[in-house]
Amino acid sequence: MKNPILEAKGISKSFGNIKALDDVDFFLEKGIIHGLLGENGAGKSSLMNILSGIYLPEKGTLTINGKLIKRLNPDLASSYGIGMVHQEFRLIDSFSIKDNLTLSKSNIYQNDFNEAFSKYSDIFALNLNSMTPVSELSVGEKQKVEIMKLIFNNSSIMLLDEPTAVLTPQETVQLKVSLETLSQEDEKTIVLITHKLKEIKDFTETIYVMKNGKMVAKDLDTKTVSDTQLIELMMGEVKTSKFDKNNFKGETKLEAVDISFTNEQNIKTLQNVSLEIKSGEVLGVAGVSGNGQVELANIICGIIKDFEGRVIVKTKDVTGKGVKSRKKLNLSYIPENRLGVGLAPGVSVLDNSAIKEYFQASFGPHLSKNVLLNSLNDLINKFSIKAPDVKAEISTLSGGNMQKLLMGRELISNPDVIIAAQPTRGLDVSAVDSIHNLIIDQRDKGSAILLISEDLDELFKLSDRLIVMYEGKVVIEIETELATVENIGLAMAGINE
Amino acid sequence: MIDIQFLGLINATLQAATLLFIAALGELIAEKSGVLNLGVEGMISIGAVSGFITAINTENLFLSILVGIVSASLFSSIHAFVTVVLKQDQTVSGLILTILGLSLSSLIGKKYVGKKLNTKLEGVFDIENPSNIIEIILGQNIIFYIAIILMIVTAFVLKRTMFGRRIEAVGEDLKSADSMGLKIGKTQFIATCVGGAFAGLSGVYLTLSYVPYWTDGMTSGRGWIALALVIFGGWKPYRTAFGALLFGFLEALGPRLQTYGFEMSPYIVKITPYVITILVLIVLTIIKNGNTGAPKNIGIPFFRENR
Amino acid sequence: MNKFILSKKLYRNELATFYSFLIGFLIAIIVGSIILLIQSKNPFDVFSLMLKLSIGSVNSLSNSLNKAIPLILAGLGIAIINSVKLWNIGAEGQIFFGAIALNFVYINTSIENSYLYIFLLLASGFIGGSVCILLPALSKVLFGVNEIITTLLTNYIVFGLTIYLINGVWKDPNSLNFPAAAYVSESVYLPTVFGKLSSGFLICILFTLIAYYIKDKSVFGYEMRIAGGSALTAIYAGISAKQKAFIAMLIGGGFAGLAGAIELLSQTHRVSTGISQGFGYTAIIVAAITGMRPLGIFLVGSLFGALAIGGSVIQTIGVSSYISEIIQATTLFGALIAQFFFSYEIKRVEDD
Repeated sequence: MKNPILEAKGISKSFGNIKALDDVDFFLEKGIIHGLLGENGAGKSSLMNILSGIYLPEKGTLTINGKLIKRLNPDLASSYGIGMVHQEFRLIDSFSIKDNLTLSKSNIYQNDFNEAFSKYSDIFALNLNSMTPVSELSVGEKQKVEIMKLIFNNSSIMLLDEPTAVLTPQETVQLKVSLETLSQEDEKTIVLITHKLKEIKDFTETIYVMKNGKMVAKDLDTKTVSDTQLIELMMGEVKTSKFDKNNFKGETKLEAVDISFTNEQNIKTLQNVSLEIKSGEVLGVAGVSGNGQVELANIICGIIKDFEGRVIVKTKDVTGKGVKSRKKLNLSYIPENRLGVGLAPGVSVLDNSAIKEYFQASFGPHLSKNVLLNSLNDLINKFSIKAPDVKAEISTLSGGNMQKLLMGRELISNPDVIIAAQPTRGLDVSAVDSIHNLIIDQRDKGSAILLISEDLDELFKLSDRLIVMYEGKVVIEIETELATVENIGLAMAGINE
Repeated sequence: MIDIQFLGLINATLQAATLLFIAALGELIAEKSGVLNLGVEGMISIGAVSGFITAINTENLFLSILVGIVSASLFSSIHAFVTVVLKQDQTVSGLILTILGLSLSSLIGKKYVGKKLNTKLEGVFDIENPSNIIEIILGQNIIFYIAIILMIVTAFVLKRTMFGRRIEAVGEDLKSADSMGLKIGKTQFIATCVGGAFAGLSGVYLTLSYVPYWTDGMTSGRGWIALALVIFGGWKPYRTAFGALLFGFLEALGPRLQTYGFEMSPYIVKITPYVITILVLIVLTIIKNGNTGAPKNIGIPFFRENR
Repeated sequence: MNKFILSKKLYRNELATFYSFLIGFLIAIIVGSIILLIQSKNPFDVFSLMLKLSIGSVNSLSNSLNKAIPLILAGLGIAIINSVKLWNIGAEGQIFFGAIALNFVYINTSIENSYLYIFLLLASGFIGGSVCILLPALSKVLFGVNEIITTLLTNYIVFGLTIYLINGVWKDPNSLNFPAAAYVSESVYLPTVFGKLSSGFLICILFTLIAYYIKDKSVFGYEMRIAGGSALTAIYAGISAKQKAFIAMLIGGGFAGLAGAIELLSQTHRVSTGISQGFGYTAIIVAAITGMRPLGIFLVGSLFGALAIGGSVIQTIGVSSYISEIIQATTLFGALIAQFFFSYEIKRVEDD
């Protein structure tokens, strides 16, 4: 590379016993769009967090514009022109768009805010009043505001962490246009972080690839590099199993009839949703997050009770009944939010391992620790969970092991019905593979499975049937073998053919 | 011609409200930055005793006010250090600040119990025998006016200035504020100490004007009522001031009930403000359906690398 | 880049709480010494006198342990309530209310068998404590009203009520200067077991074990841990967090109420303002400093009881009894500072 605007060398960082980054080198060239490719958990976000001053590295040097950086924090990073859009937005919900855009000390449009706001609103096709509170924006709009925030803060280096994860395929195309405008007209240096191959090929000029905390390829020319090459770099040699779809389907085990739900903010998040799953069948639910999937799962599992419609598990009507009635019928729920819903933070591995069926270890008011320990050891062996100290807090486990503990806990009873929401989000390839195998195993044992996911590959690979949810409605229902990525993508964006 | 009794009630209301309001406003600022400080009672007590001792020894009221403010602010920096720098639990630290403040001020003030001040904060305008409400207001002392100025300035700064928006941003969303380059630690530390300074001023008002003597436990729960006032006011300065007037009125009304023809044990009258505070809090929380308007990230220790 | 970085330790030392307490106590002794030096007292003399008069003889030791009873019981109550991550700042009021409830039952009933009667009176103290926290508990679980403020304000209400009662309907005409209710009959005094040590201490040991069992060994304790860890996980698991919180608060309040009952039957023998001398507040320190562990509360409570006795006796040589309160509070501050170093580490970054 000729003249790097930013140069990171030998960066290392660990969290507890997990080495997130190991001797990583990274260079950026002014005015072009770089891609940073890697599986979930490869270390991409950690590296970006280091460049933006949020994490401090244990080793390594950083040079910006030829100047060796002695100290770094988010404030200094933004004064060096580095800005980042995080996966979880860093916007203050109760504040207006204007406040969010101007709070930073590096803001350059203090006085001519209105002109700048209308100029960039045009570029981003954003049609909003700047005094609107951020809490009223859609996910796509929030992201535009996030990117605008970097421009207002005069960031010359823009780090975008998985910006397309929350967008429909059509919004993604629009993002591409905006980013090209910024790199060509404003000479912004952009890093696009993603685990999606297609996007990296579409968006970028040069590609970096990370795997297991290491930088495995630097400065690849997007035009010449091949897909197979990138896959090999990103995934190493993994045999991703292809699953047999000739599974036997039995009687109906889960039925949801005409479900509608209005939430506390008086928004109708579900409208007349009906579905039916047979024993030995996987029904995949596609859709951009926030289109009613979480509510649907919570209704089926008995967490939300004030809905319209009916839920029938194994021919028993459980409408209006709670979580425990479902547990008795052997329904398991793997919630989207692993730590915080499925697992209780601040509580030990042991306690967390018993949440589904702790009452089986009780004798009157007494809870037998030995019974709990024995069942946990069972889980650890059967699902090969790495848990060095079962009395320590749950957060001492890695993400993959947490998910295995959660899945194991919910699956060990061989449930009749399984609701799994985003079961592989944020996990590395081998963990994803073993979780997929667990789901297919359960399918073959005769479970009825509802699989909610944003990952289309996963849905196509595991499901027998697919539905797409958009704004609380089922907009399409189709056999997987008849579905294409294109028609599912359009349906996710709410476009009917 | 307004009834003298009534004027006395108004006067007492204003005084009680001033005391409660200044402390509440200070707590409001700290809480806006995300720091819950349950040590208000202790900080008022420290401000009260240090101001009183200075006044007895120097007879310089200006200096006494200053000493009261500075010592309470320094005292509150213990809480700031433990919770902001060392990221420890805000509830525990604040409670202990109250306990430590009360015992420390009792220890320091032991020799001064029962002593009487020769000087006392006088009204800004020299009004003898006020005959209407305007004259009652004009007859208040300097701290009353400072309280009004503080209210206006605080409301303005928080809502209208970048500086205030940044304080609020920190208390609303630590991670976002941090990634915007705002200094979380510095903001919270300073806000906590400002809260302490306000509580100190309230304490000085207590011993130099409200009841010009010092005795153990004389704050008698006002710090806690101030904390309740912040909730009552929905973290808004003007509404907090309204709440302070309301609670001040109740406090002032108690001992006067008899003169208005109500037969009530003075002991029961004494506890009415506390009973009403609880009831008001309950009613308010029900009306607002649990959403009291608290800063979203209040009470959460901030560590940037937390994932 | 930055020379030093701060990082969170994945595993905390299992004894971190204990070491923090020791460090905190050391810091507190140093601070106490400085205050004594400022008052031109010799800290060594003062502390050795405190030691001698608090644990130096059977009598003084039993005084100290008697003093520890309300600290331990109220502390246990606070710890049980904290299992669901709620705070009980109202133990002081609950102690008084336990004594008031006891006296109410005592006045209105009469039982021949004094053991049975004592049992009934202790039970009414426990229930009194629960009643005292009822309003904060209900308003918390039904409407989400901040329990810190409501439990604290109840302290002032109950204290006012106590003064009202002992100056009014319950006033003992024989107590002239110091208003108080009439004494209870000697037949319901809690017997002493060893020196001056009240049998209340045995009750205290029993309740320490009960609290330990509830928190660590019972289904209810497990459900409280999950509910305290994450409200959403509790909902997901079908555990009613509100129900657990409500029951925990009633039990915790009861523990403090029982402390008041024991204090009345073994120390004051009547309702007066002397039922508690800030035990409910000190109990918060005791509970927080041990990380809400029942056995730790028992030990630290005993130590703080001795400290309180030591503090009250040094008044005779002209040292303020507030010294012991300051030492108690500073111990917790010192422990918090030490906790930081057990939870975080400061790493020096190697130079390249």
